[in-house]
Amino acid sequence: MCFKNLPVEFDASGKPFLRNGVGDPYATATATPPEGPRQLTSDKIEDLLKRNGHIKNVDYDPVTRVAGALAFHTVADFENRKIIEARSVATLFRGYEVIMIGRDPRDAIYITSRACGVCGGVHSTCSALAIEMAIGCCPPPLGVLIRNLALALEFLYDHPLHLHLLAGPDYSQVIVEPTNPSLYARATTTEAHHTAIHGYRTIADLMTDLNPLTGKLYLEALHMTRVAREAYVLICGKYPHPQTIVPGGMSSTINLTVMNEMFVRLSQFFDYSKKLALIWDDITTFFYEANPEYKKVGARRANMIDTGIFDHPDAYDATYENCNEWGNRRWATPGAIVDGKLVTTDLKTINIGLEEFVEHSYYEDWTGEGQQQHFATDPSGNPLSPYHPWNKVTRPRPQGQNWKEKYTWDTTPRWDRQAMEGGAYARLWNSAVAQKMPDSPFIESTGHSLKLRMPAGALPETELEWHVPEVWNAFERNRARAYCMAFTTLIAFEQWRGAMERLKDGDTKTSTKFEIPKRGTQQGVGFWGAGRGYLTHHLTLDRGAVSNYQIVTPSSWNASPTDRWGQPGPYEEAVLNTPLLEESNDPAKFRGLDVLRAIRSFDPCMPCTTHIQSEGGLITREVNTCACGLDD
Amino acid sequence: MRVLVGGVAYPDLCDYSIGIEVQERLSGRDAPANVVVEDLSYNPIAIIQRLQDEQPETRFDRIVVISAVKRGDGPAGTVRAYRWDGGLPADEEIQRMVTDAVTGIIALENTLVIARYFKALPDDVVVVEVEPETHEFGAALSSEVAAAFDDICDLVWSLATDDRASDQLPMGSLVLTAVPAFRFG
Repeated sequence: MCFKNLPVEFDASGKPFLRNGVGDPYATATATPPEGPRQLTSDKIEDLLKRNGHIKNVDYDPVTRVAGALAFHTVADFENRKIIEARSVATLFRGYEVIMIGRDPRDAIYITSRACGVCGGVHSTCSALAIEMAIGCCPPPLGVLIRNLALALEFLYDHPLHLHLLAGPDYSQVIVEPTNPSLYARATTTEAHHTAIHGYRTIADLMTDLNPLTGKLYLEALHMTRVAREAYVLICGKYPHPQTIVPGGMSSTINLTVMNEMFVRLSQFFDYSKKLALIWDDITTFFYEANPEYKKVGARRANMIDTGIFDHPDAYDATYENCNEWGNRRWATPGAIVDGKLVTTDLKTINIGLEEFVEHSYYEDWTGEGQQQHFATDPSGNPLSPYHPWNKVTRPRPQGQNWKEKYTWDTTPRWDRQAMEGGAYARLWNSAVAQKMPDSPFIESTGHSLKLRMPAGALPETELEWHVPEVWNAFERNRARAYCMAFTTLIAFEQWRGAMERLKDGDTKTSTKFEIPKRGTQQGVGFWGAGRGYLTHHLTLDRGAVSNYQIVTPSSWNASPTDRWGQPGPYEEAVLNTPLLEESNDPAKFRGLDVLRAIRSFDPCMPCTTHIQSEGGLITREVNTCACGLDD
Repeated sequence: MRVLVGGVAYPDLCDYSIGIEVQERLSGRDAPANVVVEDLSYNPIAIIQRLQDEQPETRFDRIVVISAVKRGDGPAGTVRAYRWDGGLPADEEIQRMVTDAVTGIIALENTLVIARYFKALPDDVVVVEVEPETHEFGAALSSEVAAAFDDICDLVWSLATDDRASDQLPMGSLVLTAVPAFRFG
């Protein structure tokens, strides 16, 4: 059975229904998640702090080397070298959902793009998909292929950025040597396994080139972001905010010149992807062998969610009715993974299991007495929670921070009432296990791994294989993201090949004409993905204008606070499981490295701020573009 | 001598868009062959890469940048022009700026500090700061900044086209804010 907590069952034809006899199916007590990790109560923590000198508050504010504004509160037990309280704090309000109300839906493509200074294109695309579904407009095949290609290129900017500019320095010589001198000494005598591909003889050599600002890998990542960006703007006009994404496809002119220019850049990722995957293999192996306790850094249950991405041009029809079918033919398979097991790949099931809560967030609840639930079912008649995004109302309510009550601007998305994480790795895991990918000479889904046959560049043709890991932790997140470079490169290559075939046949049409209906109510949802994972935009139109717009991003899931059942959010859970492995016992020398490794392994991407006037007053006056992240 | 003139700002942020507003105004003037007016309000890393792409014989000898900078030591519309002393913060702070830059933050100090660190700037960098007032979504400048707008454009133009004007400027430093990594409570 797919849902273990929500009272939703499936009939013989696979259609979901609410279990008979359940009075209030979505009440807190009706569907309670099973025993699992829970936060200690704030009273208990306060008592421990008072009675023990070795227990201290340690606040990371801001968490550096992440996109946007994230703070993190911990209580560290330095005697037992562990974290006993972890609180994830999104410190800024974004408010795009409020901005969208009353606007022409086409504005969403440009406005929501500004949510992120890295992956504006995924927000634009997700908006376009939601609009396509709402108004009934399907792009032509070449439009689908080019859209896929553009967004794959965006990921080729995103992944190296995270691996070698943001997370990478945590494994560099300048950071490892002072915090863990004996570990670094071991690195100087440990030979790397994949020298033939990446060129590093010892792990210490590799660590030195991960050094921020001066390391060759750091500088190479900066260069490769340029290569990806140049390829991206050939299609999208501008980076990070594309100008050519429209409902019904792309407004770009695609010809052989553009495609050739594209290939010159894309092909540079064939070798780079090989290097990245095997560098992170070697880093992971080294840390595990040096101290198996590193397997606990950032560890949590393998609970993941992803909507899949990169549509098949022969399958995608932009309808909700058929989304299970076209979703299952995507190049990256959708899926929900619970405790390491894939429980569904159906987009409708993923959608109806989604809820957002605000117990510990600076928002008012929108459910309860006197409140009307807009949609009891999805467009296919499947049950929807009052906490589902199509029923959500964004009501910001800024107030003081209090761990017992409200402490973050992020909401608490849950699927089947469980804390799930989004990430590039979820897309990799689903695709490896589900065995539903389109046929490709380059990518093979084995049921337990993904085989990635990388074409020759300066390096020879190389088969990489990413295996579903036995443990889920910070190292595996980084390793999977590195393999995702290869996965994404090959998907981009497949889109390029598909587009070339279309062009050879004289097919140059990249968009379908559309009109925004001026009457009635329409619903749509964009199921897409950011470089960092899961992304949905839920849209409701009323007489041609947006009446509700809700965004859930990967960092909405990952940075979410503790929920109404006491389940910590993914960052929080990962940090609670993280041992403190720095070699010094002196709290004054503590750098929080393993906590930061745990957090950064998720590739946090936090919200921008903007000008929003709520009933409670002006929320913030800072305005930046940048940083996708939290949903409100 | 080749001179690059540009603004660093976000669009549609009232006074905080002054860099773009001035750059757009100056783009309409007939510039001497050695003066290039260009948008510098995009990814600082990309700007560095663009500067590094210049061949040695066409590298810029002077860069004049204009931006809104809140110093709080004068009324809105106050203009400060100086030759940047090129002072760089600690490496950790530069790392933070690179992080901000690659994740979408566009700021005067990020652009200049990172460009200087990676040796993409000429020695001669002229900064023109305007004290802002209004920080809201919108196209309108505050009345104070709007009143100074023509003079600001003329000043920037003279600093780009008249070597004596820039030579007479004092040396000055950027406003840099350091961010702590974490704190014990």
